[in-house]
Amino acid sequence: MTYYIFTLVFFLFDYFILAMGLNIQYGSTGILNFAYIGFVAVGAYVTGVAAMPANVTGEHYILGLGLPFPLNTLLGGVAAMGLAGLVALITLRRLRTDYLAIVLISLSLVFYDFCNNDVSLFNGADGLYNVPEPLTRALGLSSNGFIIFFACLTGVVSLLMWLVMSRIMRAPLGRTFRAVRDDHVTAAALGKDTFRMQLKSMLIGSFFAGIGGGLLIQFGGSFNPTAWLPGETFVVFAVLIVGGAGNNMGMFVGALLVETLLVHLPAFLPDIPGHPGLIEYFDLALVGLVLMVMLWFRPQGIVPERVRRTPSFGVSEKPEHEAGRLDRTTALAAALGAVEPAAGAEEGR
Amino acid sequence: MPALQTENVTAGYGKTPIINEISVDAEVGRITTIIGPNGAGKSTFAKTLVGILKPMAGRILVNDVDITRMPGHQIPRHGLAYVPQNDNVFKRMSVRENLEIGGFVKKGDPAARIEELFEIFPDLAKAHAKKAGLLSGGQQNLLAIARALMANPSVIVLDEPTAGLSPAYTSVVWEQIARIAQLDTAVVVVEQNVERALKHSDLVHIFVAGRDHVHGPAQEISALDLPSIFLGRSHSSEAA
Repeated sequence: MTYYIFTLVFFLFDYFILAMGLNIQYGSTGILNFAYIGFVAVGAYVTGVAAMPANVTGEHYILGLGLPFPLNTLLGGVAAMGLAGLVALITLRRLRTDYLAIVLISLSLVFYDFCNNDVSLFNGADGLYNVPEPLTRALGLSSNGFIIFFACLTGVVSLLMWLVMSRIMRAPLGRTFRAVRDDHVTAAALGKDTFRMQLKSMLIGSFFAGIGGGLLIQFGGSFNPTAWLPGETFVVFAVLIVGGAGNNMGMFVGALLVETLLVHLPAFLPDIPGHPGLIEYFDLALVGLVLMVMLWFRPQGIVPERVRRTPSFGVSEKPEHEAGRLDRTTALAAALGAVEPAAGAEEGR
Repeated sequence: MPALQTENVTAGYGKTPIINEISVDAEVGRITTIIGPNGAGKSTFAKTLVGILKPMAGRILVNDVDITRMPGHQIPRHGLAYVPQNDNVFKRMSVRENLEIGGFVKKGDPAARIEELFEIFPDLAKAHAKKAGLLSGGQQNLLAIARALMANPSVIVLDEPTAGLSPAYTSVVWEQIARIAQLDTAVVVVEQNVERALKHSDLVHIFVAGRDHVHGPAQEISALDLPSIFLGRSHSSEAA
């Protein structure tokens, strides 16, 4: 029972991290990244080969650095970020919205086929296995003890990443991301380099994807192409849409409802009489159903994006000369007075 | 010296020119308005000024700095602000956040500038925490203008700022435009409403089929046979 509960807890926190990464790309900046699971996979694979020793019988892979946690995971995050930078440089300058999404999902499929068939990189279709469980020996953990420990560790990591992401979202950078999402032409007219903003968003989001992937491979000890079928991207999108795009707390709610309760919980439920094993195949059907219901009845998600709190406004009561401001706008206000709409004026748009 | 100068600018989409050899000067303290029938290239001209479209030929100077080939996002730093036509605010952000975005061109805290603009636009002050998308169309246009003023520009380009507004609110917007011009700012307005444009502008250019058909002081343009010009029955000339 402890194993089941803490497995669900791990997936809750891991998908919270993954959803925050996709949220900054899609929810905040409007980049429809249908290749997101590919960046998760890069993070997982690179973390795996960074953690594993140079030679393991029966497995073929690059690097084999034997790096400890968290260095291996950070390397996975950086690798995902690096690939995202490359992809963004190729695609973001010329493509937007649905065209960008089509190209990204195509790239994801190419990358998937390559990893599935090329044995030298990440051991092909067999994938990586026997990935070391971090800190198990140092802490003397049992198998179940590791599950509890790592689920909690992932919780701490997700909390730290939430703090970082919340700071980014509240900062001018986060506001500029949202401006680019809402209207990239107007944002550019206001002096924002929209390409650079999208690039930054891709890098930050993919770092989160890489870290999430790195934690995933260390939790399970293995990772192969069946774990990141391109359709998995849409599970992360479901987390985002159900939770509420543009709101990090929504990502937690989405991860709880979609990833934990819909995707993983059914696998732990008792079989339907006469249909052994059927229940665990309900997950994606349930996700699709919930997604349709949400998009129809509550497209803003359970925890919608909020208008950011602003300091309470109080117009200065001081005369302009006392306030010591003599720039052109103030001069206008002082010379001409404030303008109220004409009495009874109502716009007709 | 005009704050904005365009010299024989030709621009369009792909390889097809929409506007041809347009030369417009906009001086500080004056309102220069571009009018013309639908499809005349007015909005194309505005988009070319602010770098959304790159000219095929000609030059654009702001305060004597050549911005012709400059990336669009660098142009506001040289003193040119742009207010797009319709849907010109970030609707999911608050009024205050919209203004803050406009202030990021300049270094420093935008809070003081926002307070100044709230003094000019009291309606926005009252709605500072509201989502911009919840404002009326006229208020949204005023917010877009206020946001452009955050960077203290020397040239402001307004693309149909009264499109879709009632006559009453159109007056409010034009009143504001006139006041902005009095603040050492060159104002370029692209406008459909000929009557309003002639009433409030100093200089008027009439674009027809992508060319500057006629231009001159508003009073002289008013005396022309405008219906004929708009219907393409008159030869180009300079009223001035």
